[in-house]
Amino acid sequence: MEWVGSRIGDGDGMRTLQKASSFVLASLKPSTYMKRTPRAIARCGLAGRPFSAFSLSVATLSAVIIMAGLAVVTAAQEEDLATVSAALAPRAEVLIIARCSVCHSPDLVAQQRLPRARWEATVEKMKHWGAEVSNDEADLLVRYLSARYHPGAPDHLPPLESEVRKAEPFTQDSVAEGPVTGVAARGAGIFEHNCQACHGTNAIGGHGPKLAKNPILKHEDLFWETVLHGRGPMPAWGSVLSHQDIADVQAWLSTR
Amino acid sequence: MILSRRGLLERLLQGLGVAAIVNRPVPVVQAAGEELARNESGPLTVRVTRPFDAETPVHEFKPFLTPNHRFFVRSHFGPPPPDAISEANWTVRVGGLVERTKTFTLKELRLMEAVTITAVVQCSGNGRAFHRPKVPGVQWERGAVGNAEWTGVRLRDLLAKAGVQAGARHVQLQGADRPVVVSVPLFTRSIPLEKALHQDTILAYEMNGRPLPLLHGAPLRVITPGWMADSCMKWLTEITVQAEESKGYYMQAAYRVPIQPVESGTTPNVPSTPVEAMVVKSLIAAPQEGETVKSGPVTIQGMAWSGEAKVVKVEVSFDEGKTWEPARLVGEDRPYAWRQWQLIWKAKTSGTFTILCRATDARGEQQPATTPWNPSGFLWNGWDRVSVTVTA
Ligand code: HEC
Ligand code: HEC
Repeated sequence: MEWVGSRIGDGDGMRTLQKASSFVLASLKPSTYMKRTPRAIARCGLAGRPFSAFSLSVATLSAVIIMAGLAVVTAAQEEDLATVSAALAPRAEVLIIARCSVCHSPDLVAQQRLPRARWEATVEKMKHWGAEVSNDEADLLVRYLSARYHPGAPDHLPPLESEVRKAEPFTQDSVAEGPVTGVAARGAGIFEHNCQACHGTNAIGGHGPKLAKNPILKHEDLFWETVLHGRGPMPAWGSVLSHQDIADVQAWLSTR
Repeated sequence: MILSRRGLLERLLQGLGVAAIVNRPVPVVQAAGEELARNESGPLTVRVTRPFDAETPVHEFKPFLTPNHRFFVRSHFGPPPPDAISEANWTVRVGGLVERTKTFTLKELRLMEAVTITAVVQCSGNGRAFHRPKVPGVQWERGAVGNAEWTGVRLRDLLAKAGVQAGARHVQLQGADRPVVVSVPLFTRSIPLEKALHQDTILAYEMNGRPLPLLHGAPLRVITPGWMADSCMKWLTEITVQAEESKGYYMQAAYRVPIQPVESGTTPNVPSTPVEAMVVKSLIAAPQEGETVKSGPVTIQGMAWSGEAKVVKVEVSFDEGKTWEPARLVGEDRPYAWRQWQLIWKAKTSGTFTILCRATDARGEQQPATTPWNPSGFLWNGWDRVSVTVTA
């Protein structure tokens, strides 16, 4: 879609892929999901800066190396890629729904078949534009996306065989949080970055229903159930936002 | 508050609108969005669900004009909220390097001289999916193009009323569509002043004799006949006359091609230029890919167009481009429209055949076997290709 030089961190595609294959599951602590608001606000300061970095000679060279690397993907390595993507899928797919689907539906992501360098550049561009992912999350996404949606992957991918049993529950720490009191002032920013895309400016509705003055705000249980676990096209936020974040959004919504 | 993995997975699956297969020993996860992207059932093939991007199945291109509800849909952020473009509130403003800033209502535009132009509108990324190595972006195949009658006013009539100042070189176009998150760059484009002042560059409020539909830019969109659709700004609200090309991502980074050939798969350090005119191209509308036809005469038909010259020749090959047979140009012949073509093929032997087509325009530009690779996958115009089975 755009004319931008790829930004390449790790020049050797194959080495990265092999490294990734020995990687079992992202060791993201739930704490990395939380307290994102200051970062979110900081990032707003970047608004409007055009993204056009060319890091050319390095990029060209690395692209050639990657191409060469991909040419020697063997059947066994293909299987490795499948193992990597299956292992990372549970977390990565949740991030794609919760974080990457704010501005566009995830089908735009799944239809790409890109080498790692271009996935890196793409995720970096999305972060720059406002995707709420931490560095660890971006790294996980790049590893997952370049293992599952690599240039050699078929157009119609088989469904993911997920080793769901072995995975950790997402909201490990939530129990410890206890009751929280929402702060409306904080909620505005959290809403803008997580909910506004679907529920509209000032929560007046859009792709998702109007939340301002929505009767659900008076039904604590239903509100929390919907936000934590999602419903239909509404993503689950339990693994993405802290209870404090959700309480803040709820408090802010009640002032609309 | 601990959720079981399975509970979460089920919810995730529900969230994706995909049937959950829960009693298998190893649950199956459908990756994000894959089902949605494959929806071919409606009149359009959906590429992206939100913002809605969809292309026309090529067999729908048999009529000369593409009906509004079958016309491909593409935008970066989806249509603006209806109140922003309701006839009551909507205006278009002409400012920048002009003698006097002018604001026009739709009513005022309708009182000005109306012109109707038949023109092909095509997404610059149409055919992106065919570039190898693959490039990022919406994976359009063949149908992000259409041919319609556009009615509206000349952009130059508005510019004349405002008075273009000396030093003006470009005209910036801005629509009312907005990204959901403010840190995403606006879709802002500019066209050179000559194109803006061209007598056939119009601001259209009708499409095929009907009010312009919302998805196609209502109430007003730009039509730059012969040029790719990235100049055809939808939901137009601001026209700014200026000395320079527009700044920002969608003019300076996106919608550009390198000015010289580049090595496939690289991100080369060569100057780039905005995508402007369409390249010569043709498609096979019938028979369809995978169709089975009876031996005997088979009508092969399609359309061909070129941005800034007339199509003078369309040829068909049955032997992977070793030999070519001329097709007959038929139907309407209008300047910026596509030209329909036909060839009666005497399919004698049964078996599977690949049909190719290529067009040539009046400048001698000819559709290549494959289009030179470019990092963003623009301007694909490789030979079109359809495989059919002939039965006795
Ligand atoms: C703040 C809004 C926003 C978020 C959040 C976001 N994107 Fe995007 N993304 C965009 C825009 C805008 C485009 C260009 C859309 C278009 O051209 O129609 C885009 C396009 C893309 C493309 C197509 C290639 C390209 O460069 O145009 C891919 C792939 C993609 N995004 C992946 C992701 C991933 C992965 C995430 C999550 C890390 C993500 N996006 C999150 C705004 C966003
Ligand atoms: C990707 C789009 C999307 C995002 C992002 C999103 N929602 Fe939703 N939401 C929806 C949709 C669609 C529905 C309607 C679900 C249904 O039809 O059952 C919904 C429903 C809801 C409801 C229930 C409303 C009712 O009337 O029952 C609540 C509450 C809600 N969302 C809160 C939030 C909050 C809080 C956020 C941000 C943390 C958020 N949503 C982010 C799409 C989204």
